[in-house]
Amino acid sequence: MSTTQERADTQKRFTLAKKGFDEADDRFASSRWFVSVLDKIFPDHWSFMVGEIALDSLILLILTGVYLTFFFIPNSRDVVYAPTAGHVYAPLVGQHMSEAYQSVLNISFNVRFGLLMRQAHHWAALVFLAAVVFHLCRIFFTGAFRKPRETNWIIGLTLWMIVMLEGFTGYSLPDDLLSGTGIRVIYSVLEGIPFVGTWITYDLWGGRYPGTTFITRLFIVHEFIFPALIVGLLSAHLMILWRQKHTDFPGPGKTETNIRGSRVWPQYAMKAGGLAMIVSGVIFALAGLVQINPVWIYGPYTPYTVSTGSTPDWYVAWLDGAVRLWPHWEFRSFGHEIANPFFPGLLIPGVVFTLMYLWPVVDRKIYNDHERHNLLDRPRDKPFRTGVGVAAIVFFADLTLATGDDILSNNLHIPFERILEVLQYGVVIGPVAGFLIAYKACKALQRTDAHPIRHPVGGMIVRAADGSYHTLGEAHAPHAGEDGYVEVEKAEEHAEEHAEGR
Amino acid sequence: MIAALLRRRRVLAGPLAVVAVAVVVGSVLFMAGGAAHGQTGQSLLVSTNSSDILAGQTLYDTHCESCHGYEGKGGVTSAPALVSVGAAAADFYLTTGRMPLNNPANQALRHHPYFDRTQIRQLDAYIAALPGITGDGPPGPAIPTVAPLCSSPSGSGGSGGSGNRSGSGSGCVTLSEGESGFALNCAECHQAAGSGGMLSKGNVIPTLRNANITQVAEAMRVGPKPMPVFGPKEISNKEMSAIAHYVEYLHQPASPGGLRISGFGPIAEGFVGIVFGFGILLFAVRMIGTRG
Repeated sequence: MSTTQERADTQKRFTLAKKGFDEADDRFASSRWFVSVLDKIFPDHWSFMVGEIALDSLILLILTGVYLTFFFIPNSRDVVYAPTAGHVYAPLVGQHMSEAYQSVLNISFNVRFGLLMRQAHHWAALVFLAAVVFHLCRIFFTGAFRKPRETNWIIGLTLWMIVMLEGFTGYSLPDDLLSGTGIRVIYSVLEGIPFVGTWITYDLWGGRYPGTTFITRLFIVHEFIFPALIVGLLSAHLMILWRQKHTDFPGPGKTETNIRGSRVWPQYAMKAGGLAMIVSGVIFALAGLVQINPVWIYGPYTPYTVSTGSTPDWYVAWLDGAVRLWPHWEFRSFGHEIANPFFPGLLIPGVVFTLMYLWPVVDRKIYNDHERHNLLDRPRDKPFRTGVGVAAIVFFADLTLATGDDILSNNLHIPFERILEVLQYGVVIGPVAGFLIAYKACKALQRTDAHPIRHPVGGMIVRAADGSYHTLGEAHAPHAGEDGYVEVEKAEEHAEEHAEGR
Repeated sequence: MIAALLRRRRVLAGPLAVVAVAVVVGSVLFMAGGAAHGQTGQSLLVSTNSSDILAGQTLYDTHCESCHGYEGKGGVTSAPALVSVGAAAADFYLTTGRMPLNNPANQALRHHPYFDRTQIRQLDAYIAALPGITGDGPPGPAIPTVAPLCSSPSGSGGSGGSGNRSGSGSGCVTLSEGESGFALNCAECHQAAGSGGMLSKGNVIPTLRNANITQVAEAMRVGPKPMPVFGPKEISNKEMSAIAHYVEYLHQPASPGGLRISGFGPIAEGFVGIVFGFGILLFAVRMIGTRG
């Protein structure tokens, strides 16, 4: 009975699916393309899915962001927070604030799911950027940016830059004390641009700081311009990935011209779908369990108030850290002082990004390698590149720590000046030390690879008919380097000597 | 059914791990979050009883005189004269355990009170009586009286009493006044949530999570180094009372949205986001993907 029923159901599903495909095919002639899409193969290494975490967080960001736009009012108009129907935050009643800030309070206290969505949006942003940075590191350390993928490296870096700015504009929108402080720092950095800074800020803010138009403009940037750029560039990023195919680590049966892995349908679709569920689960769990950015505690922004411990979100913290660590040097040229925040706020990130954009060219020169590569490097096999990457991580980490200098010194009970000094030296010495340690570690790991113990006698032990044993499969594989041979020979000699001595 | 699930443990490992880690971490954070409670404020009237003053003098001679000198006239060390500091200073430094100080070179920081309530009351009485005893110096600030909190959040009861200096009578204060006063005068050092910070030269800005209402009011009037004095001309008694109430409110603020980690701001949030958000996802991805 049930078997018959099942068979009928299967038949029905098949007919339906076939009908659907047929209908689509009649109109778009899409079967061939569709089958090729479903049959596309992606490699299975776990680190390749971190980019998907970023993609899933971005989708969550867009969904929660759309919900927030229903209730957020991007207006700097001054209002008085008054008791209304619903929940009112008592410690702010009667205070002057911008309409934007009031609407954020309403989202947090009155709008159904408002606080959950706000917190999910913020947590998703933090996770998104973490995934982006991890993805970037993975690409760098494995040499995935090499020919033919330089274009995607450049698009990826641009995306990273835009999502950092997108995150910062979002952080600035609620117009609470923290947001306003951040905007003020950005204002000062932009004002520091030689010769044109004051004009640029005057135009952006539509007058003098803080002005009345900036929140509205920021909103358009945050909710239209940057998202449009991100979605556009990300589409290009993925289309190029699709076209050029994914890289993979070297391994048995993997060559520069093939791909081993799972098909899009059904394996990869299931994996990716499952991951999307996990990502949204984790982010909404955080949003429901852990408070983030309690704007009501910070209070409305007024240009003459500030809170200690004001820092940006972690992903742009390195820029703030650079501003904090930059010495109080003065530069004058043609009778003009170049304002101090210009150097750490714009020049350093400018230099850093230029170097990163140029890295594929530099890498080609260093390794004199102009070949196309579809197989990845193990980081240990390219000690110099790995060293540079570690140096960059140390550099960013030092600057990020500098953002929390007051929090660090408070919690560690170390004088503030000492922390600054340590981090100032650290930002120069740290990367050099990081480079050397990473370089040496890579070399050491290479030697470990060559050691005989890494290449045991492999395969399967088979007992023959006459009772003797022998191994099938790979025999004692040749060792990776010449060193390996030498060591094996030495070891054998040593063993022989030892035996003779006995 | 269960056997089938067990066979699929690899598939389930990711989500299960996510849930498990979230539960453990959540409960730990939750327990940690509920720990900070403030003491309730209590108003202290300074005794003018001569026996209290005498007892205070005995305590002073034993514990304080070696630094602050005979009859509070200042000693050979950098310790200040206490003739005109008033009961507010004595009460603040003693109830918060800042005095006596082991090493006069150190910044006086909150500690378990060295003296008990009665002894502090006696020392307060003695310090308050010092201008009379020594005959030089004006009297210092008394222990401030904190006005009560209005019953309605908009403060309809006390909005008219702007000239109200004593803090008693009709003048009640609102949390809203406290919030704006705090943001303007206090947050730049003590942080918007009162979690403290750091000044130059190793001077600590203490957290306000342990300070009760009276101590906050006293601190404003006394200005315990390196904090400046906020006298009645800068901050009226009404504003002082409002700020003190708001600081007490910050011990356990209305806190929708889950565990409070934000007293430390976005750096702590970033840490949680990376470790407990992205970290768990990285683990999940490691479970889904392969190594080769």
